[in-house]
Amino acid sequence: MTFEIDYLALAPELVVAGTIIAALLLDLFLTRSKKYWVAVLSVVGVAGGLVPIVYMLAEGGTRSMFDGSYVVDEFALILKIVFLVSGYLVLLMSVSYIEADRYYQGEYYFLLLSSILGSLVMSSSRDLIVLFIGLELTTGPLFLLAGWRKGDAKSNEASLKFFILGVLSTAILLYGMSLLFGLTGSVEFTAIAAAIPDLVSEPALALSVLFLIVGFAFKASAVPFHFWAPDTYEGAPTPVAAYLSVNSKAAGFVAMLIVMYTALPGISEVWAPALWVLAALSMTVGNLSALRQGNIVRLLAYSSIAQAGFMLVPFAAAAVAGSDLAQAFSATVVYLVIYALMNLGAFAVVIAGARRTGSGDIDDWAGLGQKDPVLGLLTALFFLSLAGIPPLAGWYAKFVMFASVIEAGGISTLVLAAIAAVNSVIAFYYYARVIKAVWLDTPSEELLARPGREYAGSIKLTLAISMGLTIAIGIYPTFATYFGEASRVIATGGG
Amino acid sequence: MTVDAWIAEPVNWVFSIVAVVILFTAVRVVTSPNVVHAALYLVAALAGSAVMFLLLSAEFVALVLVLVYIGAVLVLFLFGIMITRAPTGFDEGLSNDRKLVSAAISLVLLGVLSWASLSAFGTDTVNTVGSPTATEILGDAILGRFVIPFEVVSFILLSALIGGITVARRDLTPLEEEERKAV
Repeated sequence: MTFEIDYLALAPELVVAGTIIAALLLDLFLTRSKKYWVAVLSVVGVAGGLVPIVYMLAEGGTRSMFDGSYVVDEFALILKIVFLVSGYLVLLMSVSYIEADRYYQGEYYFLLLSSILGSLVMSSSRDLIVLFIGLELTTGPLFLLAGWRKGDAKSNEASLKFFILGVLSTAILLYGMSLLFGLTGSVEFTAIAAAIPDLVSEPALALSVLFLIVGFAFKASAVPFHFWAPDTYEGAPTPVAAYLSVNSKAAGFVAMLIVMYTALPGISEVWAPALWVLAALSMTVGNLSALRQGNIVRLLAYSSIAQAGFMLVPFAAAAVAGSDLAQAFSATVVYLVIYALMNLGAFAVVIAGARRTGSGDIDDWAGLGQKDPVLGLLTALFFLSLAGIPPLAGWYAKFVMFASVIEAGGISTLVLAAIAAVNSVIAFYYYARVIKAVWLDTPSEELLARPGREYAGSIKLTLAISMGLTIAIGIYPTFATYFGEASRVIATGGG
Repeated sequence: MTVDAWIAEPVNWVFSIVAVVILFTAVRVVTSPNVVHAALYLVAALAGSAVMFLLLSAEFVALVLVLVYIGAVLVLFLFGIMITRAPTGFDEGLSNDRKLVSAAISLVLLGVLSWASLSAFGTDTVNTVGSPTATEILGDAILGRFVIPFEVVSFILLSALIGGITVARRDLTPLEEEERKAV
């Protein structure tokens, strides 16, 4: 049997794959002081991957290959944009960070690009095998990148913890997938969905669904599968932590939603309560733990756990209430897009601030606003956005979330909405604590005495892009809504 | 199936023997206090699994299991133990204090999984005897329908290889680097 390959549909993946190989070869010919050219190539390659995506979006339509196991529709394209743009920002914020110390640079970009390629493949997967392979390529290189600060025991711990728990969760995920395949006799989501109605009373089906959720929830670091996240974020190089908190989290998250939505809608009575519990626990545990953190990276780690909970709310609520999942799906995607931008901005601030203050402790950031007003303003901007204060993008994410929950109706969804509301208030407290330290506390002598160095252009660019988009979406949210609406395409089974 | 019919079928004999071997060696992998012994028990357990695949007429998978897992992964593993000078003898640190809890959880999981699998597949009969899975079909599937995951896997392996070497290699200290430059 022969299959037609649509090279335009594969173009983003091919561009990134080509960039990977080119980066690997270029690295061979560069001396240490010239390694940043690998970064330049990677950044250009990732941006180049956006070109065919924009072209296909303009053209519209759905491209399906390999018996519908690899589908490039608007939903996949939107996700690819999210993954490429956030990957682009992480690459940019890595440049000065990686150059500053004795890191391996060429290999760093190679691994980061491989991970981006994985998330691109994952976005298009409509079959268990492609999904699994894409997801593993997304997280696999990160086990190594988390340990990139080789001389640092914390980084070694970060890498090992992430690896051991990651491998365990992958095994559970695979077990769930093989049970699902054994029961339905198919790896394609549409075929699985068709086979489900005859199997609902089978205990093995419920078990396989739960196994899948455990595997995905680990990657999305949802409570109670989050234990690796704070230690890994803290020990890993900060750009890698940023990548973990956005791309790899989003990859796990999106994989979970795609599977639940396209393959398992027939058995939502099993996964809906599970997602409800995951959402409630992630929000509550993440926020309460964040309150006690003194280190800013750990604070962002717990905050990202809590944000994953918020992200789950629309989908979990709609599934429990049995209302329109397409609406919830688009709300979740909107939240994801906005979260990616503001969280990357917050991590870029952390990198710049850690360089300025020489510390990751919030107490040492006291008075940073007096020392460096621009950085102080950006800190306020991104943290207020994470807290959901208008007119920054974060408010719209929260608004969409609550709107979709209220639309779903029902007692259990209202309970979830109440939990989310209480958590928004808790979250505001610890985000505001950072802003208070930066603006209201008196700076230490030591901080004032530190030489004020100029920032690298790349980190400035990262901050400028994420700031611009965060403000733009906050003032003109239709832009983000477009992303949500486009993601509904998957609802019509366009593939 | 009656007991007599079960006994009359030689495949069932082979299955029972191999199953006992796999069970015994699998338990020993976990309980053995010696890393090298544990690895060798794992070889036996995997060889047993390969026989299981053969009994199901899945000869290609059986061969891959032998080639990749026994031939490459475990040999590499033994080399790894040897080269990194990990303790190859008796090692008390291999078991931990919570082994009773872990064993209890594992048993519960085994119970639940067996119950679910029996309920789902217990009455299924698959007649594969005499109809080997053509390797040709597998090859066509891998390079046709599944060509994207096949190509992506090569990126996973490449990144594991390059990243693994980078993380595992011993870096020169700044002092050593100066010396090297001086030479």
